[in-house]
Amino acid sequence: MEEKFQYLSTEWTAEAYRRLRAELTAEKMKYVTSSMVTHYKSCPDGKDRSLYYQFVDGVVHQLSVIEGAPPEAEFIISGDYEVFARISRAELGSRSALMSGKLRLQGNMVKALGLSAVVDRMNKVLASIPTLY
Amino acid sequence: MDKPTQQDIYFIDFPQRVKQIQLEMSNRGLDVYLGSRLRTLSWITGAFCPWRSFIVIPAEGLPTVYTFVIDASRVAGDSWLDEDHVLGYAPMGGQDQISVISDLVKKYLKGGKGVVGVESGMGSYTPEGHLTHFEYEQFAAALPDSRLVNAHDILDMLAMIKDPGTINRFREASRIVDLGHQAVYEAIKDGGYQGMTETEISGIATYAMRKAGSEFEWTFTGGNEIASGYRTGLAGGACTPATRRPLRPGEPLMVDLHAMFMLGLGDHSHNYLLGPATDRQHWHAQNFVGLVKLCLDTYRAGISPSSLANEMLEYCEEMGFAEYMVPGFEHGIGLMGDEWRIGLNDGPFPYWTNPDHVYQPGELIICAIQYACPADSRGASPEEGIGFRYENPILIGEQGCEPLSRYPLAVEEI
Repeated sequence: MEEKFQYLSTEWTAEAYRRLRAELTAEKMKYVTSSMVTHYKSCPDGKDRSLYYQFVDGVVHQLSVIEGAPPEAEFIISGDYEVFARISRAELGSRSALMSGKLRLQGNMVKALGLSAVVDRMNKVLASIPTLY
Repeated sequence: MDKPTQQDIYFIDFPQRVKQIQLEMSNRGLDVYLGSRLRTLSWITGAFCPWRSFIVIPAEGLPTVYTFVIDASRVAGDSWLDEDHVLGYAPMGGQDQISVISDLVKKYLKGGKGVVGVESGMGSYTPEGHLTHFEYEQFAAALPDSRLVNAHDILDMLAMIKDPGTINRFREASRIVDLGHQAVYEAIKDGGYQGMTETEISGIATYAMRKAGSEFEWTFTGGNEIASGYRTGLAGGACTPATRRPLRPGEPLMVDLHAMFMLGLGDHSHNYLLGPATDRQHWHAQNFVGLVKLCLDTYRAGISPSSLANEMLEYCEEMGFAEYMVPGFEHGIGLMGDEWRIGLNDGPFPYWTNPDHVYQPGELIICAIQYACPADSRGASPEEGIGFRYENPILIGEQGCEPLSRYPLAVEEI
């Protein structure tokens, strides 16, 4: 039976880090150097968590889960845990979530638009991880 | 787009403008200035901001512009501000204009508390850009511990006397308008106007002015205003978007052209009689030209709109054509978005020109004269239904004024 990872656990994060580095070339990542946080409010255990991404020249340099308030980053996308879970299960598009206000983006909108294709590619990889929500 | 350097005649010291605003903010105890008027955006950014835009000016440091995301990169490219200070807003969580702007304003307020200057008011100019009632309520709700106060007069005061870079931009825009007039003349002379319409005249001028570098026929009145026949003399009227009306012999033609150069605005009207003209039409034309000459000779520092109007209308009465005059001889002008009111908002009617405003050297206004003899003023006489318009940016000096358009003053018979 296929191994499943608990969403946002240490194991899931390690698997996400491995897959992102293996499946997304620097070219596909548009050689981006930036940082991004997805901030999950109301996780199943009641806590808030953040998934912190650091990209250097198109390579995922750091991926870590942080509890509590979100750390500083160039882009912060925040919303309820369940919204992110629905996006990961492909039940909801990330654009729809932003356009409907279910997710909130902080950061330079123009730059964010330029990176939306990169984020889509990353989401596709993350969605392929067998996950327990 | 190349931006003028300090040695360039079109150079404007925008960072210094920001510092002037911040000094006045400090004097008034404002923590943040939230601008929304088109004139404010032009005066500070040096870029054309056609979409609803805002500018957040902190007590110290660079301002940040927010405009509709589809235009943010272009505005950043045209402005002296970099792409980190020209941001986009969009209908997304956290990125709508109220959220994204109030988030930034909060960063500049200690503990979220403070005083925020906004731009409230009213205008006769549709694209003025005062904060709307809805926007005010939304910002007030998003900034619950701050106080919003009207502060547009800071910018109005600072923008009143024009700097050399601004004046030179207006001079160039006026030169371009004169080329538009030359192109119209070449097209309509020797009967060339026959078969043409008002919109076509506008197009001929537009093509010539764009070839010469004009960025925009900038008015909200349909770009170039062209009127022929009875439309030149509409009762009390001074706004004539071009129509498909054909030009006809024996009728007047009014050509009011607008060009924009680096947000400096050209605005000049020239008038024709499409021959053969009658003696009565010549009489009207002579009245108009005489009045314009007198008006240009009268403008100088120290006079006011009301003193000038009194003097001009007295002359019109003496000459027997006072009933054909629209009783105003000016409107305000500044970089794109600054149109209509002259001086500050300190007159008897809020947001209208103070008739007792005393002109100072360095003010730039439009000398605007409308002569209008409506078609029905003497029954159905074909010799009436005639009017002329004069508009020209003039720079007020101690002893006189400098008309920026140099196109020769005349009502030309074609």
